[in-house]
Amino acid sequence: MGLVESGKMPKPLTSLLNTARKYSLWAYQWGLACCAIEMGAAFASPRYDVMRLGVIPLPASPRQADVVVISGTVTDKMVPSIKRLYEQMADPKYVISMGSCTNCGGPYWDSYSVTKGIDQVLPVDVYIPGCPPRPEALLEGIVLLQQRIGREDMADRWRGDPLVVQ
Amino acid sequence: MAEATDTAAEEAQAPRDEEREALLAEMTEALGDAVVGSHVAPGRGLWLRVTRDAWYDAVETVKLRFGFTFFDFLSGIDWMPSPWGRYEDAAVDTGIPRPDPDAPIETGVAGGDTRFQVFCRLADVRRPAPHRNVVLKADLPDDDLRIRSIVPLFAGANWHERECWEMFGITFDGHPGLRHLYLPSEFEGHPLRKDFPLLARLVKPWPGIVDVEPMPDEAAPGDGDTAGGDA
Amino acid sequence: MTALTERQQLAYVDAQAADARVNVELETDEGMILNLGPQHPATHGTLRVTAKLDGEQVVWADVVPGYMHRGYEKLTEVRTYPQVTTLINRIDWLGSFANEVPFILAAEQLMEIEAPPRARCIRTILFEMARIANLVIFLGDLGVQLGAVTPTFYAFRDREHVLDQIEAVTGGRFHPNFDRIGGLKDDLPKGWIADTKAVMARIRSFCDEMEDLLFGNEIFEARTRGVGVIPAEVALAYGLSGANLRASGVDWDLRRDGGISGLAHDEVDWKVWTHPDGDSFARCWVRLQETREATHIVDQLCDGLPSGPIMAKVPRVIKVPPGEAYVETENPLGAMGYYLVSKGDLGPFRVKIRSASFSNISVVPWVLKGVYVPDIITILASLYFILGDIDR
Repeated sequence: MGLVESGKMPKPLTSLLNTARKYSLWAYQWGLACCAIEMGAAFASPRYDVMRLGVIPLPASPRQADVVVISGTVTDKMVPSIKRLYEQMADPKYVISMGSCTNCGGPYWDSYSVTKGIDQVLPVDVYIPGCPPRPEALLEGIVLLQQRIGREDMADRWRGDPLVVQ
Repeated sequence: MAEATDTAAEEAQAPRDEEREALLAEMTEALGDAVVGSHVAPGRGLWLRVTRDAWYDAVETVKLRFGFTFFDFLSGIDWMPSPWGRYEDAAVDTGIPRPDPDAPIETGVAGGDTRFQVFCRLADVRRPAPHRNVVLKADLPDDDLRIRSIVPLFAGANWHERECWEMFGITFDGHPGLRHLYLPSEFEGHPLRKDFPLLARLVKPWPGIVDVEPMPDEAAPGDGDTAGGDA
Repeated sequence: MTALTERQQLAYVDAQAADARVNVELETDEGMILNLGPQHPATHGTLRVTAKLDGEQVVWADVVPGYMHRGYEKLTEVRTYPQVTTLINRIDWLGSFANEVPFILAAEQLMEIEAPPRARCIRTILFEMARIANLVIFLGDLGVQLGAVTPTFYAFRDREHVLDQIEAVTGGRFHPNFDRIGGLKDDLPKGWIADTKAVMARIRSFCDEMEDLLFGNEIFEARTRGVGVIPAEVALAYGLSGANLRASGVDWDLRRDGGISGLAHDEVDWKVWTHPDGDSFARCWVRLQETREATHIVDQLCDGLPSGPIMAKVPRVIKVPPGEAYVETENPLGAMGYYLVSKGDLGPFRVKIRSASFSNISVVPWVLKGVYVPDIITILASLYFILGDIDR
């Protein structure tokens, strides 16, 4: 671990570690609305089968998860729970925002009870558009996240300010 | 008998619905003075408007005497025209004039005198008797938005009344616990009242019902107030 | 290790405390309050159930809905009629097409338009396919609630075929937005009927599989028989509808008794299933039979599909004449209706949405009294709800 802290991680080792990380993502599902069913189709259906991308769905708790897929309409009443969920996850952690509602409010952009975008509360790594996005779109989002993890500099990740949610 | 039944006068030539009219006559007789308005839409439904004081008794009579044991729903309605219109800011949408806020309030079928009404629908689902149903309405005076709760008659009215209280600010006397149902407890206002603004629409004008976004090379149609993105 | 900042430490302590507060609240003298949700796998959705326990038994239970409240009733007031169907698709998101039908029928009633016979039939086919898409998930999910994961995979496998067929007609897997005032957007594509009948045969074999896997299983029987009994009077007073009501022995189905002219259920031969017991098992069993029955309805309608136009004559700009109408149909979750108030405008003046799950779940505090903790899960699963349908 000393290598990572000092920021002197050799490049080959970084890419080795990143490869290991990106193909063993544990995805916590924060399924809220319609998109949750498409997420279920991507995660549980034999046709889409997310596990072939090295993603393990259904961890028992957010503490075991590397990535959370927030799918569905986020309401103002729900936001505190989502924040708490995010705080419980161990670093390094990633957020996929699935569907128009989570991205920006979607069809409920003018509603009095819907949060217009989860990125007001959490840092989002990948946005997946659609209402709801097809399961294939979620798979692509996961591939994009894996590419992002693959390019990450471990030292930056270590030294960078940890994300504290206000 | 009812004082203002608009059925007969209104639709002389329309198809008649004998079954519902017979039911209406029976109910009007059973409820007596409580009925202040009624409406039969042939083949579609029966509406009865009762006084606020007789609300509980009317529901009780319809349930026990007529056997309408299925509680369908209860809700409220705000008849005031919305002061915000339909948030049609774009020129293309102004074909329809904005409602005049000072105009007298128009109410729906079976009449009404006040801004707020409570209505509920009960049904009789026994077989082989035919499926019958009725919508009961009651007016609420603006300065005293309260009505007796019907939870003792229909336990299922509990959530419906809580929702109505939250959305319209109508108090139900005798309700076992008027708490917020949907919204967080710190929420202010009653969203389904017509004067509750949708803030998202106020700060960002609706660009228009039809797509009038000009093409990149084209000049904007009209005098420029059609595009709504810049406000 | 780098030292934690003070703020981080505080955040950590805060999170720990919040955790302890939320998951299980221990009250030393009066028993314990168990909190399920708002996000909990057992509640399949963001429903929150709080139960006060005495040992393993529930003393009282309360339901906190509203985590998915999206304000449909308010939003419909600022949408035009064609825009409203886009929105209401998303109420019961498993059987989306079925949400559009009652609203469209209510608008048609006020405009005094009737859809042509072919449109009625295709509407009914899609309506029943939405039911199948919905109930297949119920049957799969049922296993998960009892600790059997396999049925979910089967359900998602076979549901995909139904969705493919819906997508072939409407272009949308989930939210078709296909129903129009006066008919349908489009006709069926070529070869669709043969494919659909093959899919219906698949769904029937899926139902057989589920019956073998679950309904004959003694663990399943032990956990559902006699659990969560709802007598007919209670069910009626709470406004339960759909399979939940029929499982309590009330023979009432709006497809048969509702007198709805916009759907073609009266043209086919089918049966309303009821069960006298009113327990969790009865509710599951009725839904299983209904899934099968729906496939037969689709088959028969596919065979006798009339030819002709799919759209009645409708004005270009839709304005609904002033008036009030209420239309209720038998949706996958139960009776769903729209109380539509129009003032002759481009959009509705007020829409009251009567959604089935809202009433179905309002019985939960009553039915959970005195049950054991594991039964909470099976009862909630057997009452079957979709969060969007409760919270709207």
